[in-house]
Amino acid sequence: MQLPSDFFGWVGFLLSKYGSLFLQGTGMTLLISLTGTVIGFLIGLLVAILRTVPTTRRTSLPMRGLKTGMNVLLSAYIEVFRGTPMIVQAMVIYYGAMQAGIIGRGTPIPVVAIFIVSINTGAYMAEIIRGGIISVDNGQKEAAHAIGMTHWQSMVNVVLPQAVRNIMPSIGNEFVVNIKDSSVLNVIAVSELFFMSKSAAGTYLRYFEVFAITAVIYFILTFTVTRILRLIERKMDGSGTYTILGSQTDSQSAITVTESNKEG
Amino acid sequence: MEKNPTLLEISHLMKRFGNHEVLTDISFTVGEGDVTCIIGASGSGKSTLLRCVNFLEEPTAGQILFRGKDAETGWKRAEYHSKVGMVFQSFNLFSNMSVLDNCNSGQMRVLKRDRKTATEKTMMYLTKVGMAPYCNARPAQLSGGQKQRVAIARALAMDPEVLLFDEPTSALDPEMVGEVLAVMRDLALGGLTMLIVTHEMSFAKDVCNRVIFMDQGLIVEDGAPGEIFTQPRQARTREFLSRVLQR
Repeated sequence: MQLPSDFFGWVGFLLSKYGSLFLQGTGMTLLISLTGTVIGFLIGLLVAILRTVPTTRRTSLPMRGLKTGMNVLLSAYIEVFRGTPMIVQAMVIYYGAMQAGIIGRGTPIPVVAIFIVSINTGAYMAEIIRGGIISVDNGQKEAAHAIGMTHWQSMVNVVLPQAVRNIMPSIGNEFVVNIKDSSVLNVIAVSELFFMSKSAAGTYLRYFEVFAITAVIYFILTFTVTRILRLIERKMDGSGTYTILGSQTDSQSAITVTESNKEG
Repeated sequence: MEKNPTLLEISHLMKRFGNHEVLTDISFTVGEGDVTCIIGASGSGKSTLLRCVNFLEEPTAGQILFRGKDAETGWKRAEYHSKVGMVFQSFNLFSNMSVLDNCNSGQMRVLKRDRKTATEKTMMYLTKVGMAPYCNARPAQLSGGQKQRVAIARALAMDPEVLLFDEPTSALDPEMVGEVLAVMRDLALGGLTMLIVTHEMSFAKDVCNRVIFMDQGLIVEDGAPGEIFTQPRQARTREFLSRVLQR
């Protein structure tokens, strides 16, 4: 068989030969980063809500102790997972769990991969969401409490919807970072895009051409994701219009106001 | 004057922020149907007092009785909050919700009313404050006066037995103060019990049936507006009134 001689020839050749490998790797990368980001977000929500539970003078002593203990644990979780590289976390968790017998040969490796990305993302998300909660005007929480909502109710109905809107750009960042950084999981043989590319490059030793293709795929992924997130953000902002119903002369009338009055 | 039943009884309330004592020793009662205005210079503790009554600030010491039961131990916090409503200086409408949902949320989440019942109640009070046509609007699309009227409707929709107002017109442009005061005047005439921290002296004089003057964390004078505004007994009250009434 005649091998290609120039760059584009090689790219075409590799794509036709290893197209399904690239596709599988892309699918795995998307699966790990999307699931990891979503689960990480949920972990972050839970941690942030738990860390903002207020104590009052009526809080009993054991409850206070429990809360302090929980805060210490949660801070430790955040510090440890933000303070060590994910590639090291992957090694420690994978081989640690292996030695402890928690996982074995039969455990599907994507599950391990998603677990690692999730708890790593959760640590960052907890801080991002805490920042989002702080960014919501305290008066919103006070108003919620003043009409009788509990901490949990005010969080779910009032504070978090606003906080999440404010941190959407950061959530997008985390997602993009996860798409790219899930590549480090190749050290525990997760068949994501980087790992698949390495396999594809090995046979003909065409590292440059293969990883040029890989780079383009990563870029298309992240670029599409950021565009989609922008759309979601715009959707969350709602329409700039509202309708004034009825008037003094005609109760059936409706005036649609398109110009939103965004004063200080 | 016949004595109306006591609604709120505040005794020896004290609040300290760190070493700073904001409320020294506050005791007074609010009867059913009373419209009480609390006046005083900035920093005299008026707002803190109101926020302590609603437990937005935890009192350092003292007791609050609501309908004879201790507000901290005799009432569930959510139930107490729904009976003791609050209107804020900066409106604090939920900015992620429409006007309608602002008024519905508490009714549905706290009082467990279904959407239809809640919406009926909401529309009734929005009509009362003249904001029914704007039920679809978002808070950011309203003027300050409109926001405050919605905030009043939101508080009323919980069927409170007493409504606390924390300087409800202080954040408004002068031309919007009137519309909010008109709503409050209507409520007073309707017999709602209100406790109002305000700088609007003419409103205090005309609408309230009782005025409390506070200074440095203490109640200095407490009486009918006629007495306090025309013949204050304390030197501090006289000094304060001469300063604010000169404007």
